[in-house]
Amino acid sequence: MGDSAERRDYAAAELPVSPETAAAHTAAVDAFAQPGAWWSGADRLAIVEETRAAAACSPCAEAPAGAPQATAAGHAAGSEDDAGALPPAAVAAIHGIRNHSGQLQRRWFDNLIDMGLPREAYVEVASLVASAVVVDSFALGVGLASPPLPAAAPGAPSFAASADVAHAGAWLPIAREGRANILRALGLVPSAERLFFDAFAPSYFMRPESSFALETPQVELVAARVSAVHECFY
Amino acid sequence: MALRESSTKAGRNADLALVTGGGSSGDADGNVFHGAFLAALAEAVARWQWGTVADLRRDGAKRLGRQQTSDAILVAAGFNGITRVADAIGIRLDSRTAAASVALRAETGIDAFAHAAKWEE
Repeated sequence: MGDSAERRDYAAAELPVSPETAAAHTAAVDAFAQPGAWWSGADRLAIVEETRAAAACSPCAEAPAGAPQATAAGHAAGSEDDAGALPPAAVAAIHGIRNHSGQLQRRWFDNLIDMGLPREAYVEVASLVASAVVVDSFALGVGLASPPLPAAAPGAPSFAASADVAHAGAWLPIAREGRANILRALGLVPSAERLFFDAFAPSYFMRPESSFALETPQVELVAARVSAVHECFY
Repeated sequence: MALRESSTKAGRNADLALVTGGGSSGDADGNVFHGAFLAALAEAVARWQWGTVADLRRDGAKRLGRQQTSDAILVAAGFNGITRVADAIGIRLDSRTAAASVALRAETGIDAFAHAAKWEE
């Protein structure tokens, strides 16, 4: 756990980091430690730590292509801090989303729910894993370490879910309205949706004022190549 | 993912083989400025190959510029996350996104990633 000054030192990067990006990613790291909708601050930090640990998970690395492990069996917990001990279904969700996202299937998701993971808790896990991936892969990419995590903030989860959702062919209900399904995907848990898209916003044309030092086709090429590597059809 | 559409607007037709890692038929950069380099950098970030990223980062700073290279890593990092959201929730393709990526889908076979088992109960 680092102090706030250490966590905010994007000036040490080998490449320039815009103030907007530094602020968005720092805010995401701060939000990891706050109580969420279905998880406490300590739980959320444990989810982020497990996301980081999953990068070196041997069972995941040895899993045959196209077959993400359906249960937590074999995944070693990455954190030794038992304040944030996670249920096996959450660990399986983290490893699946972090390491096998292109191969995930409806049956894998259903199995996690059968193991007792509430859908809303799963949405929050997905948001935390994806947000941590954004923040960490940018930091590592510009020559920094993954940002140290703050101490967990006290408090209970809010259990706030949205009723303004619809079944749109996804594995779980998504926001009823939205310009594209990806923008609706985390709508069941509004705080999870905000966490991810606030972290993601500097990375694409999410706002009218969004701009890059790259030409638009260059931005689109990078986006498309990453999607193809992950075998993401969307 | 409107690569073809944005490149057409810019007056060049991007070679979509760069997206799937295939060789370009003509210009090695696929009609995108520094396209081959950007595709390699994107792939290295997506695969968490930080040693390769470090080499490309230094090369890119000289070749494209430091801010441009930083922005490419920022976009790649964002798509490292958003692809996981799409796949973790099992969302379907919507008409708006489909319309924005017609050429990409037709030419790269990316729809094959939407195999039936993904939604099979």
